[in-house]
Amino acid sequence: MKRSVPFEIFRYAAILAAIAVTLVPILWMVSMAFKPIGEWSATGTDLTWWPKHPTLANFQFVFGESTNDLIVALDHTALKPILSSLLSAVFGTAIAMSAGTAAAYGLSRFGSGQNLPLALIQLRLFPPMAVMIPVMIMWSFLNFTDSWWGLALVYGIVTLPFAFWLMKTFFDDMPREIEEAALVEGCSRLRVFTRITLPMMRAPLASAALFVFILNWSDYLIALLLTTREWVTIPVYMASLSSSMTGQLYGAKAALGLIAAVPPVIMGIAIQRHLVRGLTFGALKQ
Amino acid sequence: MSAIHLKNLVKKFGDFTALKTMDLEIADGEFMALLGPSGCGKSTTMNMIAGMEEPTGGKILFGERDMAGVPMGRRGVGFVFQNYAIFTHMTVRQNLAYGPRMRGAGKAEIDRRVGAIAKMLQLSPLLDRKADRLSVNILQRVAIGRSAIMERAIFLLDEPLSNVDAAFRAVMRTELKQLQRQFKQTMVYVTHDQLEAMTMADRIAVMDHGVLQQVGTPLEVYNNPANVFVARFIGAPGMNLLKGRPAESDRGLVIDLGPLGVTPPLPEQLVPAVRAARGEVLYGFRPEQVTLAARGLSILVSFVERIGARTIVHLGEGESAVKAVFENDVGLSIGETAIVAPPASSVRVFDAASGLALRAGG
Repeated sequence: MKRSVPFEIFRYAAILAAIAVTLVPILWMVSMAFKPIGEWSATGTDLTWWPKHPTLANFQFVFGESTNDLIVALDHTALKPILSSLLSAVFGTAIAMSAGTAAAYGLSRFGSGQNLPLALIQLRLFPPMAVMIPVMIMWSFLNFTDSWWGLALVYGIVTLPFAFWLMKTFFDDMPREIEEAALVEGCSRLRVFTRITLPMMRAPLASAALFVFILNWSDYLIALLLTTREWVTIPVYMASLSSSMTGQLYGAKAALGLIAAVPPVIMGIAIQRHLVRGLTFGALKQ
Repeated sequence: MSAIHLKNLVKKFGDFTALKTMDLEIADGEFMALLGPSGCGKSTTMNMIAGMEEPTGGKILFGERDMAGVPMGRRGVGFVFQNYAIFTHMTVRQNLAYGPRMRGAGKAEIDRRVGAIAKMLQLSPLLDRKADRLSVNILQRVAIGRSAIMERAIFLLDEPLSNVDAAFRAVMRTELKQLQRQFKQTMVYVTHDQLEAMTMADRIAVMDHGVLQQVGTPLEVYNNPANVFVARFIGAPGMNLLKGRPAESDRGLVIDLGPLGVTPPLPEQLVPAVRAARGEVLYGFRPEQVTLAARGLSILVSFVERIGARTIVHLGEGESAVKAVFENDVGLSIGETAIVAPPASSVRVFDAASGLALRAGG
């Protein structure tokens, strides 16, 4: 189909604008992470696109090797927050995915009606902020606050509906006949689930896990409320990077942001094949 | 031991009755086709035989053994699904070996069986291929092989050929029939394709709206349909049925078809039953048996289909529509009036109200 020239110009302009909105902040962060203080600070005079004097000083600063000419003493380095983020997001994802997958399978195969699935998604529609204060009180009674497992547990609960709904859609799409074929051969229900259903669901499981992980990884609010000092996560730690002298420590924040972007990117690349391939089963759609 | 006996089998889904009291005996080693349009209850019947669904009422016996409460894995049936239900994360070999492996067969035994079945179904070169990259035709063979490998006494096939292409369907019809001759299983074959049922089955059970309409050999069902549904459903095109009233004439009992005229005298054996009928009847004859004649029913040609080997002429419309199938092109064209003669001897008459065939002695 031949399109008019103005339309083509408009089309590419729109695409460029969309790309710019997405990529410019990321490029800015990357660039800032390698700038010395004079180039990023609010008082600095050399605001530039690319670092004139590239440096790893920001990274050294967040890992506590130098104070980067700032009169700031960090009470602890970024190592512990990175560990905290990893532990809470990974275990939170594991909780949400295992409970969500089991629930989705049960309701997809043996459930009737829509009430329970809808009730579960309503949990997701509920703003977490509304319940976080009571949760915070409960958690402190249980002594779960300021711990990675306490955080992981909340992450698991909060992202469970999301994992459940993704997996339920996938299970609904998988023909029952595949399981019945194994049952007819004398396979037990449990074995069908572990040996036939789950292996065939590898791609959907990986995609759902990635989405859930990103949700947990990028949380700020819950971690802000439930952690205080020992187990703050990357976003919370990042927010604390400021000083009365220099204001926001943008360079250090950018360096940390760059580090925080690494795990989701690695995971995304690792399962890209599954994401693109989507769902193809050996059976035909009716 | 592997005869199947369905006794007063009923299946309801909520308020919907999928199957109304079905009685059917399938003999050991018999190839039985369950034939009917979609939603007739044939797949439901099959699923109950396999144990995927519990009957609402009635019994299923394998030989003398009541199958109530026996889970599908213990019924000892092979099942081929319409959508193949291949385990795509496994190779062809692993798919074929699944049944024996589940039964705890040894490695040597599994290899021997897989080798034999793969050879029979021409899958040998594909054994180590991943199942998710195979064509539909191959997947169907794998599905049949996976079920056939256990050499079970009962083999259930749910529309196995409805997704494969026409040429392959013809090949598979022959192969399935050979498979059954070799293993002598009791086969139950669900299909909506009468050609498959007619060519493969020993007997056909025709179903509609959850009711078993007729059971018989392919020729019985074709020649002597028990009712109007079977008459219309079997045959391509189905039987012509014209409404009329029995009338006496000097040549014997005829049917007065109103504007179309009167039919030739009915064959002797139909006369008592038709004479006893009250009200309107349906006069039925096969399109293949219609001839062009000097005397007969004069009807306007409404459409002519020339499909190579045969010519299908559509005559009249509405209630008096008649189809005629000729081996050769008959040179009729739309708008002409054709004079067609129904076959004298092989006509069938049905009660218009009940739809049942009027036959000698019944």
